[in-house]
Amino acid sequence: MLANTPALRAEYRNVWVVAEVSGGKVQKVTWELLGAARRLADARSCELWCVALGDGVSKETAAIHGYGADVALIVDDSRLARFDDEAEAAALVRLIGKYRPEILVCAATTRGRALIPRVAVTSNSGLTADCTGLAIDPESGDLLQTRPAFGGNIMATIRSANHRPQMATVRPRVMNALDFDPARKGQSISEGLLEGESGAFKTVLEVFHDEENPVNLSDARFIVAGGRGVKGAEGFKLLRKLADAVGGAVGASRAAVDSGWVPYNHQVGQTGQTVQATVYVACGISGQIQHLVGMQSCDYIVAIDKNPDTPMMRLADAAVVGDLYEIIPAMLAELART
Amino acid sequence: MRHHIENRIYHVEILPPKQETEKLEADLEAFAVKFNRVMASGYCACITDNAMGNLAFQGSEMIEELSLVPGDDLVMIHLNTFHTKENLDGILDSCARLGIRNLLVISGDGSDRLPRLSPSDVGAQGVEAVTSVELLRYIERAHPGFFNLGVAFNPYEPEEHEAQKMERKMAAGARFIITQPVIGLHPMVEKLLAKYPQVPVIVEAWMSKKLDLLSEAVGYEIPEGTPYDPIENLKSLHAIYPKCGVYLSLLGFKTQYDLVKDCWK
Amino acid sequence: MKIVVCIKQVPATSDAKIDPETKRIVREGIKAVTNPFDAYALEEAVRIKERLGAEVIALTMGPPRADMVLREAIAVGADRGILLSDRAFGGSDTWATSYALSKAVERIGGVDLVLCGKQAIDGDTAQVGPGIAAQLGWAQATYVMAMPQVDEGSFTAKRMHEDGWDLCRIAFPAVVTVVKDLNQPRIPTLKGRLAAQKVEIPTWTAADVGADLSKIGLDGSPTRVVKTEPPPARNKETLRIEGSAADCAAALVRELRQKSLV
Repeated sequence: MLANTPALRAEYRNVWVVAEVSGGKVQKVTWELLGAARRLADARSCELWCVALGDGVSKETAAIHGYGADVALIVDDSRLARFDDEAEAAALVRLIGKYRPEILVCAATTRGRALIPRVAVTSNSGLTADCTGLAIDPESGDLLQTRPAFGGNIMATIRSANHRPQMATVRPRVMNALDFDPARKGQSISEGLLEGESGAFKTVLEVFHDEENPVNLSDARFIVAGGRGVKGAEGFKLLRKLADAVGGAVGASRAAVDSGWVPYNHQVGQTGQTVQATVYVACGISGQIQHLVGMQSCDYIVAIDKNPDTPMMRLADAAVVGDLYEIIPAMLAELART
Repeated sequence: MRHHIENRIYHVEILPPKQETEKLEADLEAFAVKFNRVMASGYCACITDNAMGNLAFQGSEMIEELSLVPGDDLVMIHLNTFHTKENLDGILDSCARLGIRNLLVISGDGSDRLPRLSPSDVGAQGVEAVTSVELLRYIERAHPGFFNLGVAFNPYEPEEHEAQKMERKMAAGARFIITQPVIGLHPMVEKLLAKYPQVPVIVEAWMSKKLDLLSEAVGYEIPEGTPYDPIENLKSLHAIYPKCGVYLSLLGFKTQYDLVKDCWK
Repeated sequence: MKIVVCIKQVPATSDAKIDPETKRIVREGIKAVTNPFDAYALEEAVRIKERLGAEVIALTMGPPRADMVLREAIAVGADRGILLSDRAFGGSDTWATSYALSKAVERIGGVDLVLCGKQAIDGDTAQVGPGIAAQLGWAQATYVMAMPQVDEGSFTAKRMHEDGWDLCRIAFPAVVTVVKDLNQPRIPTLKGRLAAQKVEIPTWTAADVGADLSKIGLDGSPTRVVKTEPPPARNKETLRIEGSAADCAAALVRELRQKSLV
């Protein structure tokens, strides 16, 4: 809503996190958002609310409190079992009108990114996508939202001074959750879904949950990638073992894919996927530009190569000089010894 | 291809306009001028296929749409694996119609926007991806004996790997070889010539003064501003490889074109 | 059926550089291209047209030169293009942009389906598609990887999620944003491009679409960029690890553990 005077802005209070719900369960990213939003609420000396919409979400109330929310606002309705974004948006807009939060944060997932733009437009609020930093401006009290733009080439800080609530989405694994505290208690409010809010626009016919995690490199936190130096499909089995040991995914350079050692959907780089893992282990990848552009924004890069002087070895945070066929088995042994 | 070398016919690279050009008419005009100039010189025009993964118009459609007249055996079309099957067949058919027989078959550079041939498209079995080898086999099957097929040789790749790849390319029907840009003598090229004495080899002469643009191709960083004289390198390539043809990449049509004709003696 | 495809002209981000002094994106000399994801939206529209018969209208908001992306769209099968261009639109954020585009969709009239790429590669927000749906009060389907059934009154959409997908049935009118799994966009032929060069592209202003001036441009945008800066630099120090395989592995794992990376 337009709130271009201090008096209007004063009508809005508290920080909301909209829970990411799948199959009636609140997802981990929500706890991360609560961790970040807790700081914002403390800085504004207000309450932290977590809004959960879904089928069976009232069971999650204790967890919501345990991860830092003061108030759990629950819309538990079987009509929300499947993702009806228009219904959730309608309910959220109504609740925003009723409770008037100052700040609203949601996960930048496919669901969040479907839902929140609809909410923001309908409630005439500013929305910033994929924030990597959220802070309160000490002078104005406004939310300062920092996000990467232009493919990560620039960081922009965005403010929504005259509209409330101020809305932001945050990607998974960007913020840190608080430690779960089962002793933490809070308030709980239950709200319903109004007639006409659900099923007005779509019927979800079928839902498929992928049990076997597919090659989802863009989401992977740990990537073990191989290039020409892996020398063959057999070597990729070794990489897979390391990836499995650390709960990661397997990536590849174009050379390895073109050689037929690993399918195309593993390819990282200009012609493959762009990844932003926490750790990227490049095994026998020399580091041609086309590959580097796809992975250089990973947080920590490890290179393993016999050749100590490749672009990848120079780019890496840790460069291991040696034969990956010896190093990786030794790493597996080391990782097993805890 | 042998007669190109014997008759000192340069292979002159020409890039068709990019799809994203903001001055299509001017680019088409410039292409036609370059093409006609190469034909008039009796050289061989080599037209790239979405070079560096940049979407561009196809050589064959350029020639057809602009009603250009290919000289007898004086056009070579690059063809890579980043096409739909429909597209690939269209290009091959239009080359056949135009009487263009020389094809440089390469894996090529893709991009998000480019499709990629799948093994089933080209009837390849037991491979995860289509490389120049599978593409060579497909062209030979689709147009038996019609095309004169060439392949690329990269002296900057690990030796054993590249040698094995070349064997596969030869077995798949390659009849001539074009190298990556070579600066002076390169031992890998020497080895290639010794191994395939019967196969025409064309060395690529880098005609841009910006040597650093080659960093990607050679796999190590060449500092910006590294001094480099393309004409001198061209002369030295002729001296070092008298039995090879020469492929001129990034030739300056305004500044260099008239200089090169006296280099091949 | 009438289908509008929203297309954005974006800088080719792979070329983007930051001016070290102004800390701003250097836009000069950077090519403007069709947002890659929009190509999938356009291709799907053209395929629906080929199957069922439809009018496909390419719509873009941008500077006068943005007619380029409309011509590209026409070259691969769009019937016509509309350029929404007015200084008053300058500085619009996603809210104001979705408002302006929704006004253009209303002005076109009788539209059944609006197709957009899931996001633009310069902003990466993914907000404009659902924003248009909200402005129009229409149904939406985002991250759509397949549209298995399309008929006169409704369609099915397979929506991609992090943990799988779902399939929904939606009645027209609707806004659909698409991911690249949807199809393989055709590449324009020279013949198609040359024909598209000659097509007249109408320019619509804010007044033409009846846009409320208080809802567009910088002033109509709820959000504002207050600062830009380069991203934190990569750690320049490379930790060299050499020695026996066992020593290397131990040192590396120790390092990863110290940094809580495993």
